[in-house]
Amino acid sequence: MSDVTPMDPTSEPASEPTGDTPSMAVSALRCVGLNKAFQGVHAVNGATFDVPQNQITALIGPNGAGKTTVVNILSGSMKCDSGTEFLGDDDVTNMESYEIARLGLMRTFQLSRELGGLTVLENLLVAPKLQPGESLFNVFFRPGSVRRAEKENVERALELLGTYGLNAVRDNRARELSGGQKKLLEIARAVMASPRILLLDEPMAGVNPALIERIGGYILDLKAQGVTVLMVEHNLNVVEKICDHVIVLAEGRTLATGRLAELRANKEVVRAYLGEVIDARTTS
Amino acid sequence: MSAVWYYVFTLVFFLFDYFILAMGLNIQYGETGILNFAYFAFVAVGAYVTGAVSLPNSVGTGQHYILGWGIPFPFNLLLGGIATSLLAVLLAFITLRRLRTDYLAMVLISSSLILYDICNNFVPLFNGADGLYNVPPPFASALKLTTNSFIPFFAAVTGVIALLMWFVMSRITRSPLGRTFRAIRDDDAVAAALGKNVFRSQLKSMVIGSFYAGIGGGLIIQFAGSLNPSAWLPGETFVVFAVIIVGGVGNNVGLLVGSLLVETLLVHLTQFLPAIPGHPSLIEYIDAMLIGVFLMVMLWFRPQGVVPERPRQSATMVRYLGKRGRGKNEAPIEVDVPDVALNDGSLP
Repeated sequence: MSDVTPMDPTSEPASEPTGDTPSMAVSALRCVGLNKAFQGVHAVNGATFDVPQNQITALIGPNGAGKTTVVNILSGSMKCDSGTEFLGDDDVTNMESYEIARLGLMRTFQLSRELGGLTVLENLLVAPKLQPGESLFNVFFRPGSVRRAEKENVERALELLGTYGLNAVRDNRARELSGGQKKLLEIARAVMASPRILLLDEPMAGVNPALIERIGGYILDLKAQGVTVLMVEHNLNVVEKICDHVIVLAEGRTLATGRLAELRANKEVVRAYLGEVIDARTTS
Repeated sequence: MSAVWYYVFTLVFFLFDYFILAMGLNIQYGETGILNFAYFAFVAVGAYVTGAVSLPNSVGTGQHYILGWGIPFPFNLLLGGIATSLLAVLLAFITLRRLRTDYLAMVLISSSLILYDICNNFVPLFNGADGLYNVPPPFASALKLTTNSFIPFFAAVTGVIALLMWFVMSRITRSPLGRTFRAIRDDDAVAAALGKNVFRSQLKSMVIGSFYAGIGGGLIIQFAGSLNPSAWLPGETFVVFAVIIVGGVGNNVGLLVGSLLVETLLVHLTQFLPAIPGHPSLIEYIDAMLIGVFLMVMLWFRPQGVVPERPRQSATMVRYLGKRGRGKNEAPIEVDVPDVALNDGSLP
């Protein structure tokens, strides 16, 4: 992860969106000309952007701009009609979601999707990739390695549950949690899988202000640990505080990229998303 | 031996056999969420293959069947289980790759009807509608067992096999593999997003469950000495579903209780009641209705079953992992991680 990969000049988008892309940064994730139509509706229409490595990037845009569809395509749970997706240097376009996950890209869902019948601790224990104990052969013939891996995972999961304040509910079934706890569990579970890139689909939606602070803190911690984050977010205060880089999506296209302060000066972005009133309030 | 004991040991046999069958369906449906409505077709294939490999060559027996290798117990049983697992691989590739939930269930039930029609009408395979008979009872000649003494003997053999298979199944369901199965059951998209190959895991679950179906079926034909298509009408699958729903989906002890309540008491005990004069099949029909009513009452008042699935407690996990680690310089797991102060009011 530390070695610097030069960007491929041929894959630069032809029409560079307004605002400056941090050209110094290495992109951890890049998509070029993504297209996805649902029966004639072009949900994603040529979206092209870079997600710089080890930074927090916000994906913003009006409702129906195709943000969740982009996240679904990037994580492999939906196939795109055309376009390419690169994870580092690897072309991962239209790979199965489990393959993309194994390459280190983890996602959360807009509406928390906990594994309801499993306990909170088990939700985390599912996450580590390619556990020895997931092979039938190992379960019966290499119980030692299964147990060692399991022990490491349990220790790490308990530590994470402590960090995320879920230790007290570790033995509860996940479906019994409150909305805020489910949000935390969703992030903790993705972190348990040791991601290189984390796609968070509205991690702050429906969450009270104090918890927003906490979740923001967790995301900053992840960045400090070297994780690249792409988050769909509507709360511009959060975007302002924690995001290094912003991608604005409108009608399935990349409208602009850059820092939020720069985007506020962009008429198109203001018209499509920020709005005059919000803009006036947040810049005051 | 009195007739009462004959009945009792027959019931004991079915208790253990349906316990095995319930474990097989439970890993598919209860653990992995595959609504396998073709389950009893797998049981029948296991029974037929077990029977056909243990029977001598079909020439001169008055029956028509394939194989006929004269393989003794328990190797014939194993072959039955393996054949059923292979069928599961085939069906999984046809159905599981593309289909989910209701659609999968419909295709599976159609597959079981196709299998039924083939076995019922294609005589050279397993003797058509007459089915296989005169399947040699295991160890009967070696141990000089009579018809009466064979029944308690084989009920005990089935009990031992059921115990062994319970042990194996517990290992699987408690392992990380079992946890992945349950994750897929709860939300397969989340499991895939966590890097789990959903199809591969479902395939594993189908194969394991079908092996259990095959063994359970093989034991039936060894116990009864015969099997014909009327014994495995597609509706039989629902009796196994009733066993696991009543007993408790996802709990192996519950499956034994379900087998006792549904299979032993409701299905088989009533078969030994004297027929009502003038209405020879009335008891059978009342029985079917009773199972339906029982299932509805259970789903209404105790949907989790008599012995529900228990969430695995961290303390048990830690104790287990810690205990085995002792003496190998492994530090015990620290559980008492302090919680972050919950000052935002949203969390209890």
